Amino acid sequence: MMLLPCPWCGPRSATEFRFCGEAGEAGARPDPATATPEQWRRYLYLHANPRGWSTESWYHGSGCRRYFTAERHTLTNEVRSTTAAGGAP
Amino acid sequence: MSETSEEPIARSPIAPQAPVVRFGWEISARAARGDLSLSDETPLAKVAVRAPFRGAAADALGVGFGRTTRTDVDGVGVGDVLVVGSGPGEWLVLAAPGRGPDLAAALTRRLGSSGEFVSVIDLTHGRALVRLAGRAAPQVLAKVCGIDLSDSVTPDGAALRTTVARVVTDVVRDDRGGPPSSVGPSYLLHVERSSGQFLAGALLDAGAEFGLETGTFVGLAGRDT
Ligand SMILES: [Zn+2]
Repeated sequence: MMLLPCPWCGPRSATEFRFCGEAGEAGARPDPATATPEQWRRYLYLHANPRGWSTESWYHGSGCRRYFTAERHTLTNEVRSTTAAGGAP
Repeated sequence: MSETSEEPIARSPIAPQAPVVRFGWEISARAARGDLSLSDETPLAKVAVRAPFRGAAADALGVGFGRTTRTDVDGVGVGDVLVVGSGPGEWLVLAAPGRGPDLAAALTRRLGSSGEFVSVIDLTHGRALVRLAGRAAPQVLAKVCGIDLSDSVTPDGAALRTTVARVVTDVVRDDRGGPPSSVGPSYLLHVERSSGQFLAGALLDAGAEFGLETGTFVGLAGRDT
Protein backbone atom coordinates (compact mmCIF):
# COMPACT_ATOMS: atom_id res chain seq x y z
CA MET A 1 0.00 0.00 0.00
CA MET A 2 1.36 3.43 -0.97
CA LEU A 3 0.78 6.06 1.71
CA LEU A 4 0.31 9.74 1.00
CA PRO A 5 0.41 12.24 3.91
CA CYS A 6 -2.67 14.49 3.79
CA PRO A 7 -1.97 17.76 5.66
CA TRP A 8 -5.44 17.46 7.27
CA CYS A 9 -5.85 13.70 7.83
CA GLY A 10 -2.33 12.31 8.12
CA PRO A 11 -0.97 9.34 6.16
CA ARG A 12 -3.64 7.55 4.11
CA SER A 13 -3.75 4.95 1.37
CA ALA A 14 -3.13 6.53 -2.03
CA THR A 15 -6.41 5.00 -3.24
CA GLU A 16 -8.24 7.69 -1.22
CA PHE A 17 -6.74 10.46 -3.39
CA ARG A 18 -7.03 11.78 -6.91
CA PHE A 19 -3.95 13.07 -8.70
CA CYS A 20 -4.64 16.52 -10.15
CA GLY A 21 -1.46 17.12 -12.12
CA GLU A 22 1.72 19.11 -11.74
CA ALA A 23 1.40 22.24 -9.66
CA GLY A 24 3.42 25.42 -9.43
CA GLU A 25 5.38 26.67 -12.44
CA ALA A 26 5.12 23.38 -14.35
CA GLY A 27 1.32 23.19 -14.05
CA ALA A 28 0.40 26.87 -14.25
CA ARG A 29 -2.74 27.45 -16.33
CA PRO A 30 -2.27 30.06 -19.07
CA ASP A 31 -4.89 32.77 -19.55
CA PRO A 32 -7.37 31.24 -22.05
CA ALA A 33 -8.09 34.70 -23.49
CA THR A 34 -4.52 35.34 -24.58
CA ALA A 35 -2.85 31.89 -24.81
CA THR A 36 -1.82 30.68 -28.25
CA PRO A 37 -2.97 27.19 -29.36
CA GLU A 38 0.60 26.00 -28.85
CA GLN A 39 0.65 27.28 -25.24
CA TRP A 40 -2.74 25.73 -24.54
CA ARG A 41 -1.71 22.40 -26.02
CA ARG A 42 1.48 22.43 -23.93
CA TYR A 43 -0.60 23.09 -20.79
CA LEU A 44 -3.05 20.28 -21.57
CA TYR A 45 -0.80 17.51 -22.87
CA LEU A 46 2.89 18.13 -22.21
CA HIS A 47 4.12 17.60 -18.68
CA ALA A 48 7.57 17.82 -17.12
CA ASN A 49 7.22 14.30 -15.67
CA PRO A 50 10.63 14.44 -13.97
CA ARG A 51 12.57 11.56 -12.51
CA GLY A 52 13.02 13.20 -9.15
CA TRP A 53 11.24 15.86 -7.13
CA SER A 54 7.89 16.93 -8.53
CA THR A 55 5.41 19.48 -7.14
CA GLU A 56 1.93 18.06 -7.52
CA SER A 57 -1.69 18.83 -6.73
CA TRP A 58 -3.75 16.12 -4.99
CA TYR A 59 -7.40 15.86 -3.92
CA HIS A 60 -8.38 13.81 -0.86
CA GLY A 61 -11.76 12.74 -2.21
CA SER A 62 -12.39 9.87 0.22
CA GLY A 63 -11.32 11.88 3.25
CA CYS A 64 -11.37 15.60 4.03
CA ARG A 65 -12.35 16.50 0.43
CA ARG A 66 -9.62 19.15 0.30
CA TYR A 67 -6.93 19.94 -2.26
CA PHE A 68 -3.28 20.17 -1.30
CA THR A 69 0.13 20.50 -2.90
CA ALA A 70 2.81 17.87 -2.28
CA GLU A 71 6.48 17.69 -3.16
CA ARG A 72 6.94 14.04 -4.14
CA HIS A 73 9.97 12.16 -5.40
CA THR A 74 8.72 10.22 -8.41
CA LEU A 75 11.36 7.51 -8.02
CA THR A 76 11.03 6.75 -4.29
CA ASN A 77 7.53 8.17 -3.57
CA GLU A 78 9.02 10.06 -0.65
CA VAL A 79 6.97 13.19 0.16
CA ARG A 80 9.08 15.98 1.68
CA SER A 81 6.42 18.68 2.09
CA THR A 82 2.66 19.26 1.80
CA THR A 83 0.69 22.50 1.76
CA ALA A 84 -3.07 22.65 2.29
CA ALA A 85 -4.92 24.75 -0.28
CA GLY A 86 -6.55 27.80 1.28
CA GLY A 87 -4.44 27.80 4.41
CA ALA A 88 -2.71 25.34 6.70
CA PRO A 89 -4.70 23.24 9.19
CA MET B 1 -58.81 4.66 0.85
CA SER B 2 -57.94 3.46 4.30
CA GLU B 3 -59.91 4.89 7.22
CA THR B 4 -56.87 4.84 9.49
CA SER B 5 -54.86 7.95 10.24
CA GLU B 6 -51.59 6.31 11.25
CA GLU B 7 -48.38 8.25 11.09
CA PRO B 8 -46.22 7.37 8.08
CA ILE B 9 -43.43 4.92 8.83
CA ALA B 10 -39.84 5.77 7.95
CA ARG B 11 -37.59 2.95 6.77
CA SER B 12 -33.84 2.50 6.86
CA PRO B 13 -32.07 1.31 3.69
CA ILE B 14 -30.86 -1.66 5.78
CA ALA B 15 -33.43 -4.48 5.88
CA PRO B 16 -34.48 -5.09 9.51
CA GLN B 17 -34.63 -8.49 11.20
CA ALA B 18 -37.90 -9.20 13.06
CA PRO B 19 -39.09 -5.63 12.34
CA VAL B 20 -41.13 -3.58 14.78
CA VAL B 21 -42.15 0.09 14.63
CA ARG B 22 -40.75 2.47 17.26
CA PHE B 23 -40.81 6.29 17.21
CA GLY B 24 -42.07 6.26 13.63
CA TRP B 25 -39.28 4.05 12.29
CA GLU B 26 -39.18 0.41 11.34
CA ILE B 27 -36.34 -1.10 13.38
CA SER B 28 -34.85 -4.52 14.00
CA ALA B 29 -36.19 -6.03 17.21
CA ARG B 30 -33.67 -8.83 17.49
CA ALA B 31 -31.11 -8.21 20.22
CA ALA B 32 -27.56 -9.52 19.92
CA ARG B 33 -26.81 -12.36 22.35
CA GLY B 34 -23.07 -11.79 22.51
CA ASP B 35 -20.78 -8.82 23.13
CA LEU B 36 -20.13 -8.04 19.46
CA SER B 37 -23.02 -6.40 17.60
CA LEU B 38 -23.93 -4.37 14.56
CA SER B 39 -26.97 -2.15 15.09
CA ASP B 40 -28.79 0.04 12.58
CA GLU B 41 -28.79 3.59 13.96
CA THR B 42 -30.23 5.20 10.84
CA PRO B 43 -33.28 6.53 12.78
CA LEU B 44 -31.04 8.99 14.68
CA ALA B 45 -31.48 12.58 13.52
CA LYS B 46 -28.49 13.63 11.39
CA VAL B 47 -27.78 17.25 10.62
CA ALA B 48 -24.83 18.46 8.53
CA VAL B 49 -23.25 21.82 9.33
CA ARG B 50 -20.74 23.68 7.20
CA ALA B 51 -18.94 26.73 8.54
CA PRO B 52 -15.45 28.26 8.44
CA PHE B 53 -12.80 25.99 9.94
CA ARG B 54 -12.09 28.63 12.58
CA GLY B 55 -14.48 31.24 13.91
CA ALA B 56 -17.53 31.94 16.04
CA ALA B 57 -19.64 29.13 14.57
CA ALA B 58 -16.84 26.60 15.09
CA ASP B 59 -16.47 27.82 18.69
CA ALA B 60 -20.23 27.53 19.26
CA LEU B 61 -20.20 23.95 18.01
CA GLY B 62 -17.62 23.21 20.67
CA VAL B 63 -15.45 20.77 18.79
CA GLY B 64 -13.06 20.81 15.82
CA PHE B 65 -12.12 18.47 13.00
CA GLY B 66 -11.33 14.98 14.18
CA ARG B 67 -13.07 14.97 17.57
CA THR B 68 -16.57 14.61 19.04
CA THR B 69 -18.40 16.19 21.96
CA ARG B 70 -21.76 15.73 23.68
CA THR B 71 -23.82 18.81 24.25
CA ASP B 72 -27.32 20.19 24.71
CA VAL B 73 -29.00 22.21 21.99
CA ASP B 74 -31.89 24.55 22.85
CA GLY B 75 -35.23 23.01 22.02
CA VAL B 76 -33.81 19.52 21.52
CA GLY B 77 -34.05 18.47 25.11
CA VAL B 78 -34.62 14.77 24.45
CA GLY B 79 -31.46 12.78 25.09
CA ASP B 80 -27.94 13.64 24.14
CA VAL B 81 -26.72 15.52 21.11
CA LEU B 82 -23.44 14.26 19.64
CA VAL B 83 -21.43 16.81 17.65
CA VAL B 84 -18.86 15.24 15.32
CA GLY B 85 -16.03 17.20 13.66
CA SER B 86 -16.31 15.15 10.48
CA GLY B 87 -14.10 17.27 8.20
CA PRO B 88 -12.31 20.63 8.05
CA GLY B 89 -15.22 23.07 8.32
CA GLU B 90 -17.74 20.21 8.38
CA TRP B 91 -19.75 18.86 11.29
CA LEU B 92 -22.25 16.05 11.71
CA VAL B 93 -24.73 16.54 14.56
CA LEU B 94 -26.65 13.51 15.82
CA ALA B 95 -29.69 13.45 18.10
CA ALA B 96 -32.61 11.21 19.10
CA PRO B 97 -34.98 9.96 16.36
CA GLY B 98 -37.50 12.52 15.15
CA ARG B 99 -35.54 15.52 16.41
CA GLY B 100 -34.03 16.44 13.03
CA PRO B 101 -36.20 19.47 12.18
CA ASP B 102 -35.95 20.87 15.74
CA LEU B 103 -32.21 20.26 15.80
CA ALA B 104 -31.65 21.95 12.44
CA ALA B 105 -33.78 24.94 13.51
CA ALA B 106 -31.95 25.25 16.84
CA LEU B 107 -28.54 25.05 15.15
CA THR B 108 -29.57 27.63 12.55
CA ARG B 109 -30.64 29.98 15.38
CA ARG B 110 -27.48 29.39 17.40
CA LEU B 111 -25.00 29.65 14.50
CA GLY B 112 -26.83 32.25 12.41
CA SER B 113 -25.84 35.05 14.76
CA SER B 114 -22.15 34.42 14.03
CA GLY B 115 -22.34 36.51 10.84
CA GLU B 116 -20.28 33.83 9.06
CA PHE B 117 -21.37 31.75 6.07
CA VAL B 118 -23.01 28.76 7.73
CA SER B 119 -25.23 26.07 6.22
CA VAL B 120 -27.36 23.61 8.21
CA ILE B 121 -29.07 20.70 6.45
CA ASP B 122 -31.13 17.83 7.89
CA LEU B 123 -29.67 14.70 6.24
CA THR B 124 -31.61 12.16 8.31
CA HIS B 125 -33.32 10.42 5.41
CA GLY B 126 -30.36 10.78 3.04
CA ARG B 127 -27.82 8.81 5.02
CA ALA B 128 -27.37 5.45 6.71
CA LEU B 129 -25.77 4.99 10.12
CA VAL B 130 -24.68 1.80 11.86
CA ARG B 131 -22.91 1.06 15.14
CA LEU B 132 -20.27 -1.65 15.42
CA ALA B 133 -19.59 -2.39 19.10
CA GLY B 134 -17.77 -4.93 21.22
CA ARG B 135 -14.31 -6.06 22.28
CA ALA B 136 -13.51 -7.43 18.81
CA ALA B 137 -14.95 -4.40 16.95
CA PRO B 138 -11.48 -2.99 16.02
CA GLN B 139 -10.44 -6.36 14.58
CA VAL B 140 -13.60 -6.54 12.47
CA LEU B 141 -13.20 -2.97 11.24
CA ALA B 142 -9.49 -3.47 10.50
CA LYS B 143 -10.41 -6.12 7.92
CA VAL B 144 -12.17 -3.53 5.74
CA CYS B 145 -10.51 -0.24 6.77
CA GLY B 146 -6.89 0.96 6.48
CA ILE B 147 -6.91 3.19 9.57
CA ASP B 148 -4.79 2.42 12.65
CA LEU B 149 -7.53 1.69 15.21
CA SER B 150 -5.26 1.43 18.26
CA ASP B 151 -6.21 3.57 21.29
CA SER B 152 -3.23 5.87 20.79
CA VAL B 153 -4.25 6.81 17.22
CA THR B 154 -8.05 6.40 17.28
CA PRO B 155 -9.14 6.87 20.91
CA ASP B 156 -12.70 7.28 22.20
CA GLY B 157 -14.05 10.55 20.76
CA ALA B 158 -12.03 10.35 17.52
CA ALA B 159 -13.69 11.16 14.19
CA LEU B 160 -12.35 10.75 10.65
CA ARG B 161 -13.47 10.12 7.10
CA THR B 162 -11.95 7.26 5.15
CA THR B 163 -13.06 4.23 3.16
CA VAL B 164 -14.67 1.22 4.83
CA ALA B 165 -15.14 -1.72 2.45
CA ARG B 166 -14.30 0.83 -0.30
CA VAL B 167 -17.23 3.06 0.68
CA VAL B 168 -16.50 6.61 1.82
CA THR B 169 -17.47 6.56 5.50
CA ASP B 170 -17.42 8.84 8.52
CA VAL B 171 -15.87 6.73 11.29
CA VAL B 172 -16.71 7.98 14.79
CA ARG B 173 -15.48 6.23 17.91
CA ASP B 174 -18.17 6.68 20.55
CA ASP B 175 -17.65 4.13 23.34
CA ARG B 176 -20.09 5.88 25.70
CA GLY B 177 -22.94 5.33 23.25
CA GLY B 178 -22.23 1.61 22.89
CA PRO B 179 -24.97 -0.89 23.71
CA PRO B 180 -25.37 -1.42 27.50
CA SER B 181 -24.77 -5.16 27.06
CA SER B 182 -21.31 -4.70 25.52
CA VAL B 183 -17.90 -3.51 26.62
CA GLY B 184 -14.99 -2.28 24.53
CA PRO B 185 -14.85 0.10 21.60
CA SER B 186 -17.93 1.28 19.72
CA TYR B 187 -17.85 2.84 16.25
CA LEU B 188 -20.54 4.82 14.47
CA LEU B 189 -20.22 4.44 10.68
CA HIS B 190 -22.03 7.05 8.57
CA VAL B 191 -22.46 6.62 4.81
CA GLU B 192 -24.66 7.70 1.91
CA ARG B 193 -28.06 6.06 2.24
CA SER B 194 -27.60 3.99 -0.92
CA SER B 195 -24.45 2.38 0.56
CA GLY B 196 -26.10 1.37 3.84
CA GLN B 197 -27.20 -2.17 3.02
CA PHE B 198 -23.89 -2.93 1.31
CA LEU B 199 -21.86 -1.64 4.28
CA ALA B 200 -23.94 -3.63 6.78
CA GLY B 201 -23.51 -6.77 4.68
CA ALA B 202 -19.75 -6.23 4.29
CA LEU B 203 -19.35 -5.75 8.06
CA LEU B 204 -21.45 -8.82 8.93
CA ASP B 205 -19.34 -10.82 6.51
CA ALA B 206 -16.08 -9.49 7.96
CA GLY B 207 -17.34 -10.10 11.51
CA ALA B 208 -18.66 -13.62 11.01
CA GLU B 209 -15.44 -15.21 12.30
CA PHE B 210 -15.72 -13.12 15.50
CA GLY B 211 -19.40 -13.94 16.09
CA LEU B 212 -20.78 -10.56 14.98
CA GLU B 213 -24.59 -10.42 15.23
CA THR B 214 -27.25 -7.93 14.27
CA GLY B 215 -28.44 -5.97 17.30
CA THR B 216 -31.39 -3.71 17.96
CA PHE B 217 -31.39 0.11 17.83
CA VAL B 218 -29.23 1.58 20.61
CA GLY B 219 -29.37 5.36 20.16
CA LEU B 220 -26.90 7.74 21.77
CA ALA B 221 -27.52 7.18 25.49
CA GLY B 222 -26.07 3.65 25.28
CA ARG B 223 -24.11 2.79 28.40
CA ASP B 224 -25.55 5.73 30.37
CA THR B 225 -28.88 3.95 30.73
ZN1 LIG C 1 -7.43 14.60 4.00
